[in-house]
Amino acid sequence: MSLTFLEAGLLGFVLVCGLTTALLKDVLSSIIAFAAYSLGMAMFWVILRAPDVALTEAAVGAGVMSLLLLLTIARTVRPSHEAFTESIRLRTAGVVGAFVLVLGTTIPSLPAIGSPSAPVIDYRVTEYYIANTYAQTGVKNAVTAVLAAYRGFDTLGEATVVFAAGIAVLVVLRKEGFV
Amino acid sequence: MSAAGSAVSPLISGALFAAAGAFVLLGIVVFYRVYRGPTVQDRVIGVNIVGSNTVIVIALLAAAFGRPTFLDVALVYALLNFLMSIAISKFTVERGEVF
Repeated sequence: MSLTFLEAGLLGFVLVCGLTTALLKDVLSSIIAFAAYSLGMAMFWVILRAPDVALTEAAVGAGVMSLLLLLTIARTVRPSHEAFTESIRLRTAGVVGAFVLVLGTTIPSLPAIGSPSAPVIDYRVTEYYIANTYAQTGVKNAVTAVLAAYRGFDTLGEATVVFAAGIAVLVVLRKEGFV
Repeated sequence: MSAAGSAVSPLISGALFAAAGAFVLLGIVVFYRVYRGPTVQDRVIGVNIVGSNTVIVIALLAAAFGRPTFLDVALVYALLNFLMSIAISKFTVERGEVF
């Protein structure tokens, strides 16, 4: 009961933060509001019993992300605005609202949080990994084994993409290092 | 400690959840300052308070779930909470304003 109250409050908080981030006209204020959004999401990850995701959210959302955004806008000029918030176009808002409704219709078919009969729990792929991961890879953490061993090429591809993006940024900025 | 967490009586966990919910409501109230401003400093201090609230809420949740390892998340937040304030303060002192 109290947990429902807490979840409802958090949902409202995250919603308000997201809307404020989108609607504030001033970019610096948007970045500050986005930091609050990240804090709300971290509380959600803890409620969903995912402390590792919450830790990532802490490091990326609260730490690196706002710093990167600040460093980026520090190199730009600040346009002056008369308006406090962005103006909302009704037609766009209608399209976005309809899209959210369509996405919302899929929510009832999701399994309940923590449900022992959720497909991800008793599906045979999961059972295969749990039964064979240690014997096949020698890695004790099944998630790490899936990321680094079973999907090793996929992870290598992701790392390549990130590396290529970093090189591209350096080429565009005509610099030899990130500092 | 079992997989579902060590036993916390429903009364105590309910009270802890309610306290966490109260802190979240407080966060919504404080967020009005982030929305309204009017200066950047007001907004930064508002987000700082929301960050401190987050640390408290996560610590309360760790107690309510009976999972002391969740406290690590609260610790990381307590350590990272000041980063944005320091960045904005540094820009403000060195250049008069951030941009």
